[in-house]
Amino acid sequence: MPGGTITLRNLTKRFGDHNAVDDISLEVHGGEFFSLLGPSGCGKTTTLRMVAGFEEPTAGQIILDGADVGRMPPNKRKVNTVFQSYALFPFLDVAENVAFGLRYQGCTRAEAKQRVAGALDLVQLTGYERRRPGQLSGGQQQRVALARALVLNPSVLLLDEPLGALDAKLRRALQVELKALQERVGITFLYVTHDQEEALTMSDRLAVMSNGRIAQLGPPRVVYEEPESAYVADFLGVSNLMDAVAAPGGDGTCRLTIGEFSLTSTCGSLRASGPVKVAVRPERVGIEAFVASGDNRVPAMIERTVFLGSSTQVVVRLAAGAGLQSVVRNDDPAAGWVAGTPIKVVLPPDALRVLANDGGTVEQIHEETLGDVAPVPA
Amino acid sequence: MAVTLPDATGAAGEELFAPSPAAGARTPPAAVRRSSIIARLRRRAVFLETFTWLYLIWSIIPIGIAVLFSFNSGKAQATWQGFSWRWYVTDPTQSVLHNAELHQAFVQTLVLAGLTTLITVPIGVAFAIGIDRWRTRTASALNFVMIFSFVVPELLLAIALFFVVTDLLHFLPLGTTAEVAGLVVWNLSWPAIVVRSRLVTIGRVYEEAAADLGASRLKALWRVLMPMLMPAIFASAVLVFAGVIDDFVIVEQLSSTAATQPVSVAIYSNVHGGLAGPALNALATLMLVISLVVAAIGYVGYRLMTRGERKNTAEALTTIAGM
Amino acid sequence: MSIASRVARPASEHRRARYVWAALAAPGAVWLILLFVIPFYVMLAVAAGQINLLFQTSVPVWNPVHWSGANFAAIWHDLVGPSSYIGPPAIRTVVYTAMASALSLVIAYPVAYFVARYAGRRKTLFLVLLIAPFWVSYMMRMLAWIDLLQQGGYVNKAFAFFHVPGGGVNFLGGQAVTVVLGLVYGYIPYLIVVLYAGLDRIDPSLLEAARDLGCSRTKTFLRVTLPLSRSTIIAGSFITVLPMLGDYYTNQLLSAAPGTTMIGNVIEGQLGQPGEQGQGAALALLLLVVLLVPMLYYSISTARASRQNI
Repeated sequence: MPGGTITLRNLTKRFGDHNAVDDISLEVHGGEFFSLLGPSGCGKTTTLRMVAGFEEPTAGQIILDGADVGRMPPNKRKVNTVFQSYALFPFLDVAENVAFGLRYQGCTRAEAKQRVAGALDLVQLTGYERRRPGQLSGGQQQRVALARALVLNPSVLLLDEPLGALDAKLRRALQVELKALQERVGITFLYVTHDQEEALTMSDRLAVMSNGRIAQLGPPRVVYEEPESAYVADFLGVSNLMDAVAAPGGDGTCRLTIGEFSLTSTCGSLRASGPVKVAVRPERVGIEAFVASGDNRVPAMIERTVFLGSSTQVVVRLAAGAGLQSVVRNDDPAAGWVAGTPIKVVLPPDALRVLANDGGTVEQIHEETLGDVAPVPA
Repeated sequence: MAVTLPDATGAAGEELFAPSPAAGARTPPAAVRRSSIIARLRRRAVFLETFTWLYLIWSIIPIGIAVLFSFNSGKAQATWQGFSWRWYVTDPTQSVLHNAELHQAFVQTLVLAGLTTLITVPIGVAFAIGIDRWRTRTASALNFVMIFSFVVPELLLAIALFFVVTDLLHFLPLGTTAEVAGLVVWNLSWPAIVVRSRLVTIGRVYEEAAADLGASRLKALWRVLMPMLMPAIFASAVLVFAGVIDDFVIVEQLSSTAATQPVSVAIYSNVHGGLAGPALNALATLMLVISLVVAAIGYVGYRLMTRGERKNTAEALTTIAGM
Repeated sequence: MSIASRVARPASEHRRARYVWAALAAPGAVWLILLFVIPFYVMLAVAAGQINLLFQTSVPVWNPVHWSGANFAAIWHDLVGPSSYIGPPAIRTVVYTAMASALSLVIAYPVAYFVARYAGRRKTLFLVLLIAPFWVSYMMRMLAWIDLLQQGGYVNKAFAFFHVPGGGVNFLGGQAVTVVLGLVYGYIPYLIVVLYAGLDRIDPSLLEAARDLGCSRTKTFLRVTLPLSRSTIIAGSFITVLPMLGDYYTNQLLSAAPGTTMIGNVIEGQLGQPGEQGQGAALALLLLVVLLVPMLYYSISTARASRQNI
């Protein structure tokens, strides 16, 4: 089994009377790309800083390959960090930056030189040794930061929003590169981000955090497709969230009432009852002519259609008042219907996901706990 | 209106920097209102610029005249009698070189400036770092005392220092020892304030990065924080050195004999009677040259040290002036 | 691993770090306490102390229980009593300082404003010229004016040349105007640098916004620039007012006449007078108490600003 296993056990960090990290327990496997995802103020960065050793846990343990490192100073831990601002030393050139930590590993000069060359080769920056950080682009600085951490052969690499300062195009290119790099070096990556796309595309597993706690943990596909709560669904960008009243139905189904219409669901928290949130993916929302009839069909009206290129988005409003988005193929007849056309919306039972009501959506939680913090870019 | 205004500002700005007589002719007749705005703005900046130049003349010309008359071959300070080095070297009794009092004052100023800088800068830098990180009530109180020492009128501090060295701290006799001790406390706030504000801009992340890469707390301080603080330390050294050269009140109160009087005190006690005359101008000019050399070294050094940081000339100039 | 050892280690690690920081601050702290805090206590002990009648020297009294108010009473008597020889200098100090600092502000603000806002590519040149006097020692700048203002000096020559009435004036013989202008000349470089730094920090987009919203240049200045530079003006005023109130040498160099004596001269004189050191200390303390409010205001706002930046 490769090294680099991190276990957090009841990890808590309190600042004053605010619990930044609230009793978190999780395990990151060796060689895994694991992301902590959440809006600002959710505790993800504090968790990372505790693993790095910059913050001391108020309670709980951080176990790295079997040893509790929770109280060990950062310079004694076999983890290294890529900072959001990169924190490259401006008075040292690229090679000196990368070689900075080697001194504390008792490297000979020749060995250090060789390892620096290797690390720069790994991030494709050979030839930039004598440049100062100020003379590099953002993307290049990011690679130097990576090389500086990786050259020390850490058990775990911690990355704090490493792509946050880059523009969108570069960010997408580096996501792919970073993932490939992680697979090549085989080191555990603990990655902190507020960008759900980043977390979903790169991670082996991810934890969505809210208010210092883990809202959901699992592989990206599972978290994305089977959000356990309205918060997770909302944060991962599920565009259709409706209010409904749930009542247990027969044989593993759930009866949902939206306005005066009754629907059946076969996925999610089927034992829920009372007010719940219901999520449905736009690509699963079918649109039929108004005359169509059958189960799980509700009357609605087309509000507008938006051409997306490869598909068409149809925004509809249910008779009950809720708005829904549907994505249809461009050759679907619904793509051509004008605003105001009455229709029937088909919501298949296996696409209607009942979400346990855990206290609301991202925005609501934000308003309650953070007040003045800017909302997360969706 | 909101559309035309930025345009007008742009045009006005251009002409403020390079006023051209053709400006009026270029303006289309239709834009009467705009051209009147431009004219008004130009008048206003011209007024401000004239005012600024008058101020500069007022502030610099007297010094220039004083420097000029240090080279006067006669004793007069308002009648030019020809160029000579008389008051610097050639006069056998009154030149800076040959007059013991002036000579000693010059040496004493340099000794005080050197010693005070050597003591104040390390102490002040360490104080700034310590206070910034210590973060206790004691630290806040000490920081407050430091800032307070920055604003207290110098005469009050000088008197208090005089009493303390004569009545209590007898191991600090009047003269060079007491002068340096007093100058250190009076100038301590320069490195403390300059370094502290630099610490705030640097933040903690570089030290965290160093710790992350394996450096202990003190190693991080030494290998990362010190190089990053260097420009601030250097600037504060220049400020302290120049501050001591400029100082008068503390050294006057704490000097003992004529042998421990620096230039400022020598000028003060000789200007009415005594050695009044171009010899004092010569002494003052020498000090001026040293100050300007220190300032130039400070400026060039600061620019070199902050090369990588995209700072402009103005920033370097104001930092060297203690802002 | 036992809980006790887990708890004990971070505490000691934390404490060790604190020792490092305390040790770094220690030399400066010792220096400040020994030569800033204690000296003012000694000054108080001298002011509330006694006089050695034989040698006419002051004897500090360390124990507050035995302090005497005699020197303070004497000072108070001199300040407001019928003989009141300190009263006029005190009033003069306030008037001179007010005039000199107001005049400094009136001169310095437009200059700093011009350099910060309009100097454009010549900013460096102007800054060098503005900062230059900063590097010329105070004594030399006073010396320069003494040269110019003496009876045969260039100022009187210029007056005679232009046939201005009032030529041949002995400017250095107790003229209040000379003293006030001397104070302005002495302290204005510091004020200009402070004002420049403050005005230069104002975000130009705020001014553009005001213009965009319909303000004229004058209105923009009055409604945006001036309010934004208020704290700078206050800070700059402290920078000139506080040292002016304790100044004695400008006055001594440019006038040296009893008719222009300021409070600093009185204190300085008492300290040199046998038997009056205690009164000088008492007067200095009185001045300190009066200045305590502006000094505390300045120190607290500076300390708060430096804390908020962290």
